[in-house]
Amino acid sequence: MNEKGNLLDIQGVSFRHTAQQPVLEDVNLTIRHGERVGLVGAIGSGKTTLLHMIVGLLKPNQGQVEILGQTRSSERDFWEVRERVGLLFQDPDDQLFCPTVQEDIAFGPLNQGKNREQTERAVRNALSLVGMEGYEDRITHHLSGGEKRLVSLATVLAMEPDVLLLDEPENGLDPVSHERIRSLLLSLPQAMIVVSHNVEFLASVTTRCLRVEDGKLKEIVV
Amino acid sequence: MHITEGVAPASVAAAGALLAAGGVALGLRAMKDEQIPRAALVASAIFVASLVIRLPLGPSSVHPVLNGLAGVLLGWAAMPAFLVALFLQALLFQFGGITTLGINTVTMGFPAVACYYLFSRRIRESKKGREAFLLGVAAGVTALTLSFVLWAGSLILSGKQLAIIVKLSLLPHLAIVTIEGIFTGFIVGFLARVYPKAFEMPHIIKTRSDP
Amino acid sequence: MSCTTHFSGHTVVHRLDPRPRVVATLVFAVLIALSGHYRVLCSGVAVGAFLAMLSKLPIRPLAKRLLRLNLFMVVLFLLIPTTSPGEPMFRLLSVPFSHDGVHLAAGITLKANAILLVFTSLLGTVELSSLGHAFHHLHMPAKLTHLFMFTLRYLDVLHHEYVTLLRTMKARAFRPAMSVHTYRTYGYLMGMLLVRSLVRSERIMAAMKCRGFRGEFHAYHHFHFHQRDAVFCLTSAIVLMLFAFVEWISGGVAR
Ligand SMILES: Nc1ncnc2c1ncn2[C@@H]1O[C@H](COP(=O)(O)OP(=O)(O)O)[C@@H](O)[C@H]1O
Ligand SMILES: [Mg+2]
Repeated sequence: MNEKGNLLDIQGVSFRHTAQQPVLEDVNLTIRHGERVGLVGAIGSGKTTLLHMIVGLLKPNQGQVEILGQTRSSERDFWEVRERVGLLFQDPDDQLFCPTVQEDIAFGPLNQGKNREQTERAVRNALSLVGMEGYEDRITHHLSGGEKRLVSLATVLAMEPDVLLLDEPENGLDPVSHERIRSLLLSLPQAMIVVSHNVEFLASVTTRCLRVEDGKLKEIVV
Repeated sequence: MHITEGVAPASVAAAGALLAAGGVALGLRAMKDEQIPRAALVASAIFVASLVIRLPLGPSSVHPVLNGLAGVLLGWAAMPAFLVALFLQALLFQFGGITTLGINTVTMGFPAVACYYLFSRRIRESKKGREAFLLGVAAGVTALTLSFVLWAGSLILSGKQLAIIVKLSLLPHLAIVTIEGIFTGFIVGFLARVYPKAFEMPHIIKTRSDP
Repeated sequence: MSCTTHFSGHTVVHRLDPRPRVVATLVFAVLIALSGHYRVLCSGVAVGAFLAMLSKLPIRPLAKRLLRLNLFMVVLFLLIPTTSPGEPMFRLLSVPFSHDGVHLAAGITLKANAILLVFTSLLGTVELSSLGHAFHHLHMPAKLTHLFMFTLRYLDVLHHEYVTLLRTMKARAFRPAMSVHTYRTYGYLMGMLLVRSLVRSERIMAAMKCRGFRGEFHAYHHFHFHQRDAVFCLTSAIVLMLFAFVEWISGGVAR
């Protein structure tokens, strides 16, 4: 991997969900290795859409997406992206689908082709990173909202991604878990894009900040 | 495993319709009003799954049927649930057909009910996830095998020349039944661990006067 | 994305009262299924084609449906006449095609196409919830009607939920293959979908009870019978009786 190059380079990208008004219009965004970018914007402004586009879950109607040094357009192009870019979904209920915490966290590493031993280690590490040791055999469906969020984050971290895309990671957490997430993000070496409505939180964990507004991205100072 | 429109002659179609009507009537009697949302949601979930999930099999893939699962979750209410699901499939996607709706409801529904009697209680009483998994496999395999027998029977009754279709589809069906079993097993195992209440509802036939 | 879309439009067929459409479709299907004569079956296909044009069914989806059905029919045509015994009607590449077999396959093909065309033109053009109301007014058992309506309502919700879950699985590098891991993953996905459905169905029941539900549903959707509906009823009655009459005078099992 070329550490000097761009991690992500989006040029002239437009996206519309339906035939109506585009959510993103002619958006440009460049992120270099090691950068931590905050993303703010009103509800429905297209923050989630942007993150989903980066991992190829949504395909832009126009424009070019270059990730990890390569232009990505087909489903196959994004296979590699998804193994190296971890996306934390906004709603943890969308992310957790296995019966137990352990199985859910193991899902990603298994998809990456890790063997049993490596997977077990990844599960343990990820759980201790988010401070949820001992939750291995808990039923995900029965966890509280905050617990689900931390476990979701663990499912992403277990894949040891190079880049993290976090969609409102601290939303709905109590002050203690909030602080834990904050210090965890600060301690992680990865480049990341963090969506949040909490400007203070963003100011402390990111290095620059963008606002999504009327389909465009604007650099802002927080 | 549908009988396509036009294939069944009047006698077979009528027999199927009558049997289906009887089964659906029993199912409607068994289904209490407050179980309607539950039956409908299970029917929708199974409809969606059988439409969009493709389980890879060699170079091709198969759609799950899940009538064993419907049976253990719904009991006799699986009959009306399949009637509705099959009608919608015929209307929206041209699977099966309107004159063969009865036969297809019988083919899918009765094996489901059989699975209810055979497996529902055992799954409810199973202690470990593994046991529930195996019972689920058994339910999936049993239901689909019975469905295959009913399907083959109605084809052959429709015309002995059609037996060739049964012969040709025997081997593929063996593979389909196996995959359906494994798939149902994982679902039942999941439900037994995560939401055992799924198997708890009393769906046995009850007359109106029952408390 | 929706999986419950009907063929919408503004033709005269779309404006007809759904109730007589349901009845006419059923009677037509039964008559055609009973028929053993080519002249009736061919007229049936003609009626179907006429209705399809009248309701301006979109060409592409209709062609797709017809193609899927008739691919199966091609298989029948190749299989049945070549494997069933009896006098050969003709030979293709020196393979004999039996008389009985050809007639059986031809009958099935005509019946299937006729019913498909009428079914799609008359019922595929009704908005699905109106269809439920029509069933209600045609005295289908109340529970069955409600089951139908509830199923419809949750199809799109569940489909959406399925798509969302599948999306998160893809984001975690899931690629389906022929493996136990894949079957397990889909099993869990389906399990989760069911758990959410069941939990939701309890919430729905609770919410219904809170709003005064005592085990009885009240329908308030009513249809109006217009002149055009009377015309439709009359025309269908005549056509269907004509079919029955031709079938009857053609007698016995002759083709
Ligand atoms: N699947 C969808 N179909 C149609 N519109 C959608 C869909 N998903 C999101 N939208 C719309 O796109 C816009 C952007 O959504 P989203 O990216 O989720 O916003 P944010 O994350 O900034 O709150 C919203 O107006 C939303 O209603
Ligand atoms: Mg969002």
